[in-house]
Amino acid sequence: MNDFLLILPEVLLVLTLAFMVIGEIAYTGEQVRLISVSALIGLTGALIQVLISYRMGTVLAFGHALTIDAFSLFFKLIFITLAIFTIFSTLQTSEISPGRRPEYIALIVAATLAMCFVASASDMILGFLSLLFLNTASYLLSAYGRRATLSTEAAVKYLSFGAVGAVLLLYSLAILFVHTQTLNIYEMHQALVRSPLPASTMLIAFMFSFLAISFYIGVFPMYFLVPDVLEGAPTPVSALLAMGTRTAGFAFSIRYLISIFTVLGPGKDQWQIASVPDWTTIVSAISGITMLVGALLAYRQRSAKRLVSYLVVVESGFSLMGLVVLDGGGIAAILYNFVVELLAFVGIYYVLSVFNDKFQADEFDSLKGLLKKSVAETICFVLFLFCIVGSPPLPGFIGKFALIGTAVRHDRLILAGMGVMAMILSTIAVARLAYYLVGDFRVSTAQVVNFSRPHKYFLTALVIPLFLVGIFADWIFGWAGKSVSFIFW
Amino acid sequence: MRNHLISLILFIPLLGILGQTLVNRQRGRWIALFASLTASLASIGLVLLLSSSGSEGEISEAFQWIGSYAITYDMSVDGLNAILVLLIAILFPVLIASEWNQKLGVQGMHSLFLALQTSLFGIVCAQDLFLQFFFWGLSALPFYFLVGIWGGENREKAAFSSIVSSTLGNALIFSAGIIIYYSVDPHTFSLRELAKMHLIEKQISVLGYGMSVSSVAAVLMSLGLSLRAPVWPLHGWFTDVARESPLSVFVALSAGVMPVALYVFARTFYLLFPETLAHSASWIVMIGGLNLIIGGICAVSQKDLRRLMAFICISELGLTLMGIGSLSSAGVVGSIYHHLMLGLALAGFGLFTNVISERIGHTEFEENSNVNSLGGIVEQAPVISVVAAIVVASLLGFPGFGGFVGHTLMMIGSYSFSPVTVMLTVVALLLAAYYLFSMYRRIFLGKSDSNSSQFQDLTLREKLYMSPLVGALLLFGLYPKPLIDLIRPTVLKMLIGIK
Repeated sequence: MNDFLLILPEVLLVLTLAFMVIGEIAYTGEQVRLISVSALIGLTGALIQVLISYRMGTVLAFGHALTIDAFSLFFKLIFITLAIFTIFSTLQTSEISPGRRPEYIALIVAATLAMCFVASASDMILGFLSLLFLNTASYLLSAYGRRATLSTEAAVKYLSFGAVGAVLLLYSLAILFVHTQTLNIYEMHQALVRSPLPASTMLIAFMFSFLAISFYIGVFPMYFLVPDVLEGAPTPVSALLAMGTRTAGFAFSIRYLISIFTVLGPGKDQWQIASVPDWTTIVSAISGITMLVGALLAYRQRSAKRLVSYLVVVESGFSLMGLVVLDGGGIAAILYNFVVELLAFVGIYYVLSVFNDKFQADEFDSLKGLLKKSVAETICFVLFLFCIVGSPPLPGFIGKFALIGTAVRHDRLILAGMGVMAMILSTIAVARLAYYLVGDFRVSTAQVVNFSRPHKYFLTALVIPLFLVGIFADWIFGWAGKSVSFIFW
Repeated sequence: MRNHLISLILFIPLLGILGQTLVNRQRGRWIALFASLTASLASIGLVLLLSSSGSEGEISEAFQWIGSYAITYDMSVDGLNAILVLLIAILFPVLIASEWNQKLGVQGMHSLFLALQTSLFGIVCAQDLFLQFFFWGLSALPFYFLVGIWGGENREKAAFSSIVSSTLGNALIFSAGIIIYYSVDPHTFSLRELAKMHLIEKQISVLGYGMSVSSVAAVLMSLGLSLRAPVWPLHGWFTDVARESPLSVFVALSAGVMPVALYVFARTFYLLFPETLAHSASWIVMIGGLNLIIGGICAVSQKDLRRLMAFICISELGLTLMGIGSLSSAGVVGSIYHHLMLGLALAGFGLFTNVISERIGHTEFEENSNVNSLGGIVEQAPVISVVAAIVVASLLGFPGFGGFVGHTLMMIGSYSFSPVTVMLTVVALLLAAYYLFSMYRRIFLGKSDSNSSQFQDLTLREKLYMSPLVGALLLFGLYPKPLIDLIRPTVLKMLIGIK
């Protein structure tokens, strides 16, 4: 019973999901309102429960299969907040017809549940199954759009590469299991410290693991899938996939890679590679390539949604930069960046869905002069975009500084240089898009479109916290730092 | 001395932007002007307060911002940046007033000017490298939109080259900042702390070669700044912007950002890299000399007021660089003083060009079969002719006008460095006399034609916004003592690092 209390947020999500499924079957009249409101209530309850869970400290549940620590709680807060935002933006868009919303919202809650388990999993089978659960929910969500061809194509690609990723992860786990005779991540770590694997076997295990992980976090070589999926999925789902699935992938990667492939370093919150080969050099190269390729391809795009998808790829490259330095500062920088990304990407995809609904605008030419038609949305969109690419004075800049700074601190100057180059290219790409939005508003004869009050509240709820994340950056860094300090290894 | 006035000056323009969004166009522009003027009056009050506080005074405000990275909100005004604070205070209300009748998105344009006022004020007052870069980055985007939205036919290209250049420049400065931050222990961005840490002794490994942090950061920073201040040969984007941007925007760039970039260069080099500066002073003077002469030669062949102004900027920037690189108190005091006078004179030049452009639809002043030329407007428009004459006299450094003190001090300072620099300055001034008098003769004194007879003199609004510029040029030209007294002690303190 105690174990169930430890995972009360997940229990609440399961209950919410069950209630939604039963409600959908039992009531045919007002299911739309019932489902969305009950989902929002359930998610808010889970969010409050996560905050309460901070009082429990670091504990292991269900025979060490789940770890409830500050690290997992941080990610749970991100996932549940993201789900609330996604449901809210779904209610504002016409991309998902009201009749189809109940199943769709149920899938969002299911995906959130899977993400929460991914963040806590310390048993590899549980971690693997949670990732598969998340994949399944994500396939279904990405195929949910009205733009059937693109959505279906995205889902099929996602499914095929997801299967490849799952198999690769399974192979690497099999290699590690054969040697360590355990599937618990901490016991695996102890076994590997006592009796390390031969370098070549370790390299193979690492490569399989990383190829699988690269699918979830959207970095080279699996990055090419990301824009197709994010473009094809309904726009609110794109936010969930861009922030949720990818962030869950990072939560899993950080715990898994550091536990299995590193040992404790000389200082507090420092690690060093467990054995040759130096996998951080490989990940460094992948981080640099992902950032630069993503930024270059973003610059080449003529569709706003696709450009944003490439910015997601760039962000993944940046986050990897914080991982390769193997210290608490790097991981805290990743976590700070996730908070910024949560608000900015949700905002970006939300405004994109508004533009798509009201003006059928996505290609650059169709975005011309939108400033005149939709002032607040355009300004917020431009702010979110410049925040993501790290333009000062927006909080994204503080996040980029922290990530690039960690690379410099660890003498990875080439990687830091690639990060700076990626920042330049993505800023130029975003400036081009922003120019289309505001540049030709003088020729636009269209009238201002009035939006509903909830819509305005939602945008405010994204913009104000975004600025607060910059103003109170110290507090957020402190929170991120504590999330790393109290991580159970 | 602690004072919250600095934060007030920083945030009032931002409140103005917010206020503008809540009201209609008519009230919006009044709110913009009110916000800008209030910040300006507070800035002037701040400088007066500083001036009365003693010879080596400083007014500051500081608290920790991001403690985990030792980033502080440390803002201060001393003898060095007080000059720039004055320039910004005079410039932005004038620019907002000059675009009073803008038909297209006037609130947007004024909001961007207010954002620029905040960012430039933040740059000059910040005593923390991170904070300084924070405001520096904020100053880049408004230009992209100002040029891209309100620019001429090829505005897209000009806006694009402006953003590419400033993004590259920002990246280089950002890299310099990070290298400096991680090279010192404990890590800090505080300019005061960094000044004591002898960056020349810190080493950084670049591709296996050990190099001094001071040299690497100095190169990155000067390249980054050169991409925002139009230093030859990185000035290509600047002439594009000169051709396409609205003149008020070009004034903000040339009279606002350029002096601020020169100030950042002087401050960081004297404070953080004194040894590198001492070694590279001859290079700085040489680059300054090249810009001075090349800018002058290019200006001679210009037939368009916009392009002429762009090359005057390059030439004057070269002269100021020579003053900074002279390592002498006269040269540095002269160059800092010249930041203000150059800014005001360029603003005057840009704004009378704007008036001409609004009246006749172009800015070309040589007889050309394709456009209606302009000549001999002194009789129809005596006020604008006088304004232009004062601006030209100041740019040429005539005694009694703003430019005289700066030019003279920089020549005295440069002479101690090398007599060749004085010869270069004299040549440049002769060139300037040629191209400025040619322009003035053609437009104001030349033969009147049909265009000229209908030329309308300055309106009351135009006279009102021109008067602070002209007044300051005359006042500080005739009575420079208060400002020199303000600058000199800080400069002398700064030069101790070099000695």
